Amino acid sequence: MQIITRQVKDKPLKVIIEYPEYNESVKTLVHKISSMEMSFSAGVDGSKVKIGLSEVYYIENVERKLFIYTEKEVYRLDYSMPEIEAMTLDTGLVRISRTCIMNTDHLKEIRQVKNSRLEAVLDNGEIIIVSRKYLKDIKRIFQKG
Amino acid sequence: MKRILKDTCIIAALMIFSVFSISIIWSGITDEIGLVLKLFGLAFIISLANFLFDEYISLSIAVSYVIKYFAITGIVMLYGFIVGWFYPSNFWMAFIYVGVVLVLAYFIDSFKVKKDIAYINTQIAGRTNLAE
Repeated sequence: MQIITRQVKDKPLKVIIEYPEYNESVKTLVHKISSMEMSFSAGVDGSKVKIGLSEVYYIENVERKLFIYTEKEVYRLDYSMPEIEAMTLDTGLVRISRTCIMNTDHLKEIRQVKNSRLEAVLDNGEIIIVSRKYLKDIKRIFQKG
Repeated sequence: MKRILKDTCIIAALMIFSVFSISIIWSGITDEIGLVLKLFGLAFIISLANFLFDEYISLSIAVSYVIKYFAITGIVMLYGFIVGWFYPSNFWMAFIYVGVVLVLAYFIDSFKVKKDIAYINTQIAGRTNLAE
């Protein structure tokens, strides 16, 4: 695959994909680029902010309330876990435990600690627990490319 | 090989289902058919218990398998008594049956987890190298 980038001043960002035939890889690529535009409306100190998909590190359900974690901030989300899962289908976000959805774009490493528990190390240094049951779902994200 | 084994299991299940469906219509539920139906019932209950355990309890592989061993043995014994598989003298056999299955499952699970982690970390390393 050849990647060409060029600066065109005073024009909006444009992505052109050339392909010999439309297959799964092209479909995934188109979906990934389209999902970059996706954002969540989250609450902080009584006001609403837009959080882009690429900014999301993980989303956690704490006592039936959803929180979205970015590199340094935490916001409250007014969605349910199934809603988030439906919205982020075929993106880098994947469920890693009963209460947590992680963005694999920020995943630095998966490791098995002494007592065989699994941990995900994110690129901001944060560590979150991964349930073994969902390991195959994380693998599937990487298999799709 | 994995694909062939998976297909073998699916075809075998379909064969059992179709052969037994015709037999049930023809001659009703015989002892053999009854046994297979009971095994399907037990497999369903164990799968459900396993699903709920994995969904709600997060423990190390070894501890979770020890707990599953006692829980599943309990289910097998109870189910065995209800459907008449065990008599008071041989109920302890459930510990052996379940033990053999779970020891195999434990080793397969441990191996698979290690393999999956290695695969994911390799992909992350590849992605990082590409970005650099």
